[in-house]
Amino acid sequence: MSDEQYRREYGEHLVEQVKNGKMTRRQLLVRASVFGFSATAAGRLLAACGGSSASSSATPSASTSASAGPVKGGTIKVVIPPPLKTLDPVTIYDQGGIVLVYQIAEYLIDLDNKNALKPKLAESWSPNTKGDVWTFKLRQGVKFNDGSPFEAADVVASIERVIAPKSGSGALAALAGILSPGGTKAVDANTVQFNLDKPFADFPYLVSSSSYNTAILPRNYAGDFLKKPVGTGPWMLKSYVTNQTCTMVKNPTYWGKDASGNQLPYLDEVDYTLITDASAANLQLQNGAVDVQAQTVFQGAQALFGDANLRVDVYPSSGIRELAFNMTKAPWQDKNLRQAVAYCLDRKAINQALYGGRSIIGNDTFWQPEVFPGSPAPTPRDQDLAKVKQLLSASGKTTLDVTLTVANYLENPQYAQLIQAQCKKGGINVTINQISYNAYYAGSNTNTPWLNAAMDITEWGSRPTPGVFAQAMLLPTSAWSSSHWNNKDFVSTFNQYQSTTDEATRTTLATKLSGIQQDDTPIVVAFYITQLRTQKKTVMGIQGPGSFYFDVSQAYVTK
Amino acid sequence: MARIIGRRLLFMIPTLILVSVLVFALAEILPGDIGRVVLGPYALQSQVVQYDHAHGYDKPIYERYVRWAGNFVTGHWGDSLTYQIPVLSYVIKALGNSLLLAGFALVIIVPTSVLIGVYAGLRRDSILDRIITISSLSMTVIPEFVSGAILLVVFAVSLKWLPVSATPPQGSPFIDRFYYLILPAIPLMFLELGYVARMARAGTVQVMSMPYIRTADLKGLPRRRIIFGHVLRNALVPTVTVIGSQIGWLIGGLVVVETLFVYHGIGWIMVDSALNHDEPTLEAAVLLVAVLYMFSNLCADVAVAFLSPRIRMGA
Repeated sequence: MSDEQYRREYGEHLVEQVKNGKMTRRQLLVRASVFGFSATAAGRLLAACGGSSASSSATPSASTSASAGPVKGGTIKVVIPPPLKTLDPVTIYDQGGIVLVYQIAEYLIDLDNKNALKPKLAESWSPNTKGDVWTFKLRQGVKFNDGSPFEAADVVASIERVIAPKSGSGALAALAGILSPGGTKAVDANTVQFNLDKPFADFPYLVSSSSYNTAILPRNYAGDFLKKPVGTGPWMLKSYVTNQTCTMVKNPTYWGKDASGNQLPYLDEVDYTLITDASAANLQLQNGAVDVQAQTVFQGAQALFGDANLRVDVYPSSGIRELAFNMTKAPWQDKNLRQAVAYCLDRKAINQALYGGRSIIGNDTFWQPEVFPGSPAPTPRDQDLAKVKQLLSASGKTTLDVTLTVANYLENPQYAQLIQAQCKKGGINVTINQISYNAYYAGSNTNTPWLNAAMDITEWGSRPTPGVFAQAMLLPTSAWSSSHWNNKDFVSTFNQYQSTTDEATRTTLATKLSGIQQDDTPIVVAFYITQLRTQKKTVMGIQGPGSFYFDVSQAYVTK
Repeated sequence: MARIIGRRLLFMIPTLILVSVLVFALAEILPGDIGRVVLGPYALQSQVVQYDHAHGYDKPIYERYVRWAGNFVTGHWGDSLTYQIPVLSYVIKALGNSLLLAGFALVIIVPTSVLIGVYAGLRRDSILDRIITISSLSMTVIPEFVSGAILLVVFAVSLKWLPVSATPPQGSPFIDRFYYLILPAIPLMFLELGYVARMARAGTVQVMSMPYIRTADLKGLPRRRIIFGHVLRNALVPTVTVIGSQIGWLIGGLVVVETLFVYHGIGWIMVDSALNHDEPTLEAAVLLVAVLYMFSNLCADVAVAFLSPRIRMGA
């Protein structure tokens, strides 16, 4: 069967699933995007499903354009945290760095506002029947902002660069065991083939903007991005003052056009103010000194919600604060005690205290249908102190004394205090060991607190699929396992889940995986953090599902 | 006098060497390493080890110190390890910012506080003295992050009279900078004004009770001449010493104000580079502040010597 034939059959399979009620229309769109169906092709599939046509609009209601249509020209001022180090797409890992690189360089695939994949430098992609060879057709006629043409050789060089160990790129941890050096081949100037180490159904996510180190750079990139900021993106770097400001001007030769065929971007210039302190950044918005805050954190943002000049857009995300039980340390080998902590928590109260009730209650797994369409939805645990007592006594205990290590970062200390207060009601005495952010991540794998403390809280940004989370932190082979969980049933089911492309089988396996994870409770996921983006009410058209994805190519300011 | 100054200047050299050794050692104790900072929490440990090795950050501390010190004294201050930009211009620019803010604050603080302090001392126990003493004390105890936040909310957010950040937009004329510095300078004035004024008041009160002032008074000298000729000269000795010691803090210690008002002074850079193990930047920033601190103290001592011949002769 040829790959094209296979894809057609896969499309029919998806339609079947929707017709049989095994999949939602939104889920069809997401899966179709993973398999490289264009928006039109996916629309045809939806039409084939019959019934009312589901909206595939990627624009959140709050950001829909005003009736007058986009205004061309002008400047907006944006506040973001300063990049924590020099700007290098290969090694960036923090919000400020990712947002700035995203303006200049582009990815093969981007994410739309609902976390579905959308073509960027790749026009289409599809797997072979087995799912271990993925072929990407590249967009033609695209040029880098230095005038050189964008071709398959640039993709090969960019991907090979990040998986070379000496590059120091964080992408290696995500791609290790899936794509090895030498696996990326240019078939012709506009076609790239990825030969994977094993079948991997979610591969497109690993070369999308969600895997932010995989930005496509010129083949001869030498690690000097600030000196030669060359990319295919809508913006060009005009000036950069470390820790202070960054100015981007529009790339006049950008390939992107809007739906009506107008040249993007609309704005002439975007000025970034780089501010570390969240309250100082919020004051900038309230004072009117800046127009947009790419990501607003909940702490201290109450005033923004009530400000008549501002609009806060809300995006569901899969970002979590992982409360991990290290199973190599006493007493966490005991499942009853892990569950006991999970039953101590009053998740609604936590959501209210930390996020004003705006986040989504967590079910101790990565599967959450409001974030991942069509995913299984285990019921979140309610606070149940009688159950806690029962679990403790099943382990021969009436009380429990434990230590919780937490970095003095974001809302983590407050979360730790809530855990402490709520666990006390269940007879679990939590001592909080609060350390600095740097101390939390310091040291090697064998002694760093975040992977070796008995119980700790780690912040995880949004990931595009549950599989990416599990791959990173729940397998014995995971680089970032704070729980050191080793559940053979989970591992074998997970491997099947990642290698199969059959949707019905994937759904069954996902249900099984989420069941195992919730029951065994290697980590507590008490909430999925909603992401906030704040802007003046006159600013329209910003795209991207919050946080790192900050696409201002279609942004404009209404008069 | 020249000999004293020369000796003091010479004494700075071993002090600075000691400071630089201490800073290097302290940076070593802080958790984290440069490879981890540059590559981030998601890089594999093997990548971090490889990075540290390739850049020589895994060498023993004394080796790194000797290499750094050799470069530093020959004017090669190197690049920031985290931002990969030249340390010299980065730190000097931040120092310029700090000096501007400190200078702006001092120009207001010194004359005002001396004036009200001396006035209160001369009118000891009057209503005005009480008001000055109590209000200056209350201002001093308000931490700068509290007064700064209140000022920001009132004047920058609600009234929108003043800018919310201390840094003007790029390309603004130099004079604009003072407009942007008004708000951050006020919390500093609150802190320093009270402190310096109380020193001036205490000095004045003490001198006023001296027998030679009574003698001068009984001798029939006009009051103005007593104050300017006898009181001020002696009363301000402790005040000048205090101002000298506060200059160092005003330049290097304003991390809170700099964070709140988004101002990149040398204090902010010291904290940032210490947290990031950015040794070249940290060393340069600390040494510059140390030099300034020693100079401001030296200047204060020289001023005191001019005010008080007793000290000048005795030294």
